[in-house]
Amino acid sequence: MAIESVCMALLQWSPALIAGFGQNILISLLAIGLGTVLGLLVGMLALSPWRLLRLPARLWVQVFRNAPWLVLIYFTTYVFPFEIHVGSAYIPFPDWVKVTIGLALPASANVAEILRGAVASIPGTQWEAARSLAFSRWQIAVSIIMPQCLKRMLAPWMNLYAVVTMGTALASLVGVHDVIDTAQIASNTVNLTGFTVLVYLSLLVLFFAYCYPISRLTQRLERRYAFY
Amino acid sequence: MNHWLEFFVHWASSLGLNYGFLLDAYPRSTLAQGALTTLWLCLLTIIGSLLTGLGLAALLTSGKRALAVPARVFIEVTRNTPTLVQLYCAFLVLNMLLNQAVGTANPLTPFAWVVIVISLHKGAFHAEALRAGIEAVPAVTLEAARSLAFSNRQLLWNVQLPLALRFALPSLINNLIDLVKMTAVASAIAVGDITYSAIMIWTQSDNVLELMILLLGFYGLLSFIVNCVGRYLEARLRMPGYGH
Repeated sequence: MAIESVCMALLQWSPALIAGFGQNILISLLAIGLGTVLGLLVGMLALSPWRLLRLPARLWVQVFRNAPWLVLIYFTTYVFPFEIHVGSAYIPFPDWVKVTIGLALPASANVAEILRGAVASIPGTQWEAARSLAFSRWQIAVSIIMPQCLKRMLAPWMNLYAVVTMGTALASLVGVHDVIDTAQIASNTVNLTGFTVLVYLSLLVLFFAYCYPISRLTQRLERRYAFY
Repeated sequence: MNHWLEFFVHWASSLGLNYGFLLDAYPRSTLAQGALTTLWLCLLTIIGSLLTGLGLAALLTSGKRALAVPARVFIEVTRNTPTLVQLYCAFLVLNMLLNQAVGTANPLTPFAWVVIVISLHKGAFHAEALRAGIEAVPAVTLEAARSLAFSNRQLLWNVQLPLALRFALPSLINNLIDLVKMTAVASAIAVGDITYSAIMIWTQSDNVLELMILLLGFYGLLSFIVNCVGRYLEARLRMPGYGH
């Protein structure tokens, strides 16, 4: 009897939970997209031959890799304004966008490091060989080094995506209505011991079902592109 | 001490940052208490996670399926679910069940739960690093040790682990830096660490930016210390011709 009502309650709440998880996935996709674009830019700056460009990029990477993700999320949530004033219009700046930016910052620092590692793994002799064939620095980077780097970056980048997805769980702490927030509301509303156990376990299952295949695929790619 | 603090507050105000709350005894003691809690949290979880990692790595490389499979399942589940969800599963579910079973005699505080969850979580990551290290020990070394009549346990403790530790040290240190940053989730279940005390202060007085800079500096310093210790150990334990 009790088990039946608990299962019914879970069934009843499952659309809300799935919708919440959709919010998590949306945040993670936008954050990794933004983080990748930013990270590639920062990573390229960090590889530049000019000190003046290299230093800020280094600082960016150090600061955002060494800060706890939670603190960065609080940072973007509380420091950014609630709405942006453009001309005469007020554009709202929702919490979940701020969280996305808060996750994109550390993601970008990690992408920059992944790029640095991939470029460093290409033997220096290739730069020299290309230089002797009269390629310019930009040409070497774009047509010789980058194509090889992409393959090597794929596995760590996917790993990073899995980490970012798990990082979206922190969004609930700053009031974003995500899957964990939904689970808390559900468990407080239904107020049955069995349901509370079940709903938190289903959170574990949801995240595991999403992240485990990514991690398996990453391992396969790592093995396929192993270069030593 | 106070003199320097006043000097700092004065200097920061010339940059447009209001650190005046540091001169106030109450917020200052809250922050100091929080910093101390975070330090304790880091210390206990570093020890706990290393012990967990060691145990799990021993299970993984035991060669017995009955031991290796549960350890592998635990590691995969831990690595592929968010820490916060694990913390909630422990604190909101297990703790609730425990409370219902033993009532107010429940010995586990939120602080203890954070230590347990983060130790287990990071232990899974340590175990992977140590396993890779144990598997990287050359087969001939093992054969040589076995021919000297080392038992399995002696082999693990005296031959494999010392070598594996050297091999795994960079990733272990990486995990520990991650662990230091991870302790910030303790604030989610109202453990009074430095993040929590900062939240408490900025909800009363509107100085988010100043506290954020302080927090980033504090965590940066902690990970820097872990990094330095790691570098020292790496140099200290280096064996010419082995590992990195």
